[in-house]
Amino acid sequence: MTLSGRAAYRDELTRLAAEDERIVCLEADLGGRGHPFQQAFPDRFFNVGIAEGAMIDMAAGLAAAGFRPFVSTFAPFAALRAAESIKLAMGYYGAGITVVAPYAGVSGAWFGTTHHCLEDVAVLSAMPGITIAAPYGEREMRAVIRRAARTGAPHYVRTGRNAAPESLPWQGEEPPPVVWDDDGAAPGRVCLVSVGEVGTELCLAVRRERPDLPHAHLCYLDRGNLSTAAAELSRRYERFVVVEEHRPGGGTASALALLMPGREVRSADAGDRWPSHGGSHEDVLTELGLTETAVWRALAACGEARVPAAT
Amino acid sequence: MTVTLAPPAPVRTGRASLDDLHARARAARRMVIDMAASPTGCHLGGSLSVLDILIAALDRANAGDGTEVVLSKGHAAAGLYAALHVSGILAEDPVPRYGAADGHFTGHPGAAVPGVRFPTGSLGHGVPYALGWALGRRMAGRGGLAIAVAGDGELQEGLIWESCQVAAAQKVGNLVLVVDRNGGQNDGAVDAISPLPRLADRFATFGFDTLEVDGHDLAALRDALAPARDGADRPLAVIARTVKGKGVRPVEGKPSAHYVTIDAARAAVWKELVR
Repeated sequence: MTLSGRAAYRDELTRLAAEDERIVCLEADLGGRGHPFQQAFPDRFFNVGIAEGAMIDMAAGLAAAGFRPFVSTFAPFAALRAAESIKLAMGYYGAGITVVAPYAGVSGAWFGTTHHCLEDVAVLSAMPGITIAAPYGEREMRAVIRRAARTGAPHYVRTGRNAAPESLPWQGEEPPPVVWDDDGAAPGRVCLVSVGEVGTELCLAVRRERPDLPHAHLCYLDRGNLSTAAAELSRRYERFVVVEEHRPGGGTASALALLMPGREVRSADAGDRWPSHGGSHEDVLTELGLTETAVWRALAACGEARVPAAT
Repeated sequence: MTVTLAPPAPVRTGRASLDDLHARARAARRMVIDMAASPTGCHLGGSLSVLDILIAALDRANAGDGTEVVLSKGHAAAGLYAALHVSGILAEDPVPRYGAADGHFTGHPGAAVPGVRFPTGSLGHGVPYALGWALGRRMAGRGGLAIAVAGDGELQEGLIWESCQVAAAQKVGNLVLVVDRNGGQNDGAVDAISPLPRLADRFATFGFDTLEVDGHDLAALRDALAPARDGADRPLAVIARTVKGKGVRPVEGKPSAHYVTIDAARAAVWKELVR
């Protein structure tokens, strides 16, 4: 049994705060009752109320005073409502704030478009100096939070609502720029590239039918980390299908296409529509066309048919 | 924390006499006029209205108790640079390189300038920066005030009131918000655009202690900012009544003085008028 991204964040931060008195935790009234950090360290926990911009700016002041602030609110309110505060405090000023943003993509499902965020990677990627992470599973989330606490550098951490997948295996303390899932993969095939919880789930589903297709999972999505990942990807493969729960504009596929000139990069993404129906997370993804079928369609465009490879 | 451009440490010179503060204010006004005579010009009216507030606030910071001054109305950068220089915090004379490509004295202040901890200019952000600083000092058991200096037009930003709400709720008594109440903003008079009646009452309703002072009375400003407020559980709002363009009679109270570019001859005449 693994924890969801936001539950893993709260647990890991609370654990780290026991050893690092500089860590403070801020919420904008979406941390829920019984927040473990609040229970363990009430003097270092602040629910500032529904004031996302003020929360980010306050965190800059706390960072300047020597603290390591971690702030959290839903992705649309962090990345879009408080975008200017993030730009100025974390980008321009370089304050060591970590923003943890659940409800990324359309994981808010029936809550509707106000609570969706398919634009955050585009917005954050445009702000130099901020590490962007989209951890897959509890182990990756814990590693990202430890990294943020250790480095004191600005981080934006994108996660979903309650999904709790098992992280892919990797060696060491933190996920490398590319987490390879390529047992049984054949050379010369199209490489699946996954971003985030939905992208990774879809790539894993495709791999169950076509284990000859290599799969590269990316945890870190900022330009610096993507440059490192792109160098590694392009050394091994020529053609890529990037799967991400994000709009095509400003997403990871578009960034990789620029970083890998001469390589073929296609994407299966959440498109440009505004979802208007309720239902589950999967239902909204289906409305937007981000399904396993869409990944197969992108693979077909690269010449990979939906049939098991001949052995 | 990693700062994009790490500035040299500011110098803290200790408190000054009232006569010295008056002399600093006069010298700083002449520097601001010189910056208006630079190729870029400067926000003259607001720099002159806020200048005495800054002189008093930076003198308070020079006590060396951790007090931080944040100019939230960052467009008054010329006033800030001049005040930092005459207060002994900024060693370099900002006039020769104001707005120039070979210096950091931009039209809105960045953290590369000694004495400027938080970059400002996009209105509203300086108040929550100061709030975070005040909260951090309190949490660390260290003294000092966080003095945020905002314009009255700036109070039209929602971020200010978000921050006031949080400051009162968290009982951050070492936060002092000084309002440069000069009555003007970019496109005209505050009263004509989005008035702020009963301003002190507004802050009191939010849970602030309040004071109203003459924003050009250095003794009154110094007294307002003197208490340590270590045990205070209500933030303080100081409404400082000021005059746009104060100290330079040809522009005093004139909305057109908001942003001014003049030539050297006019600057020389205006500097002679500084009282």
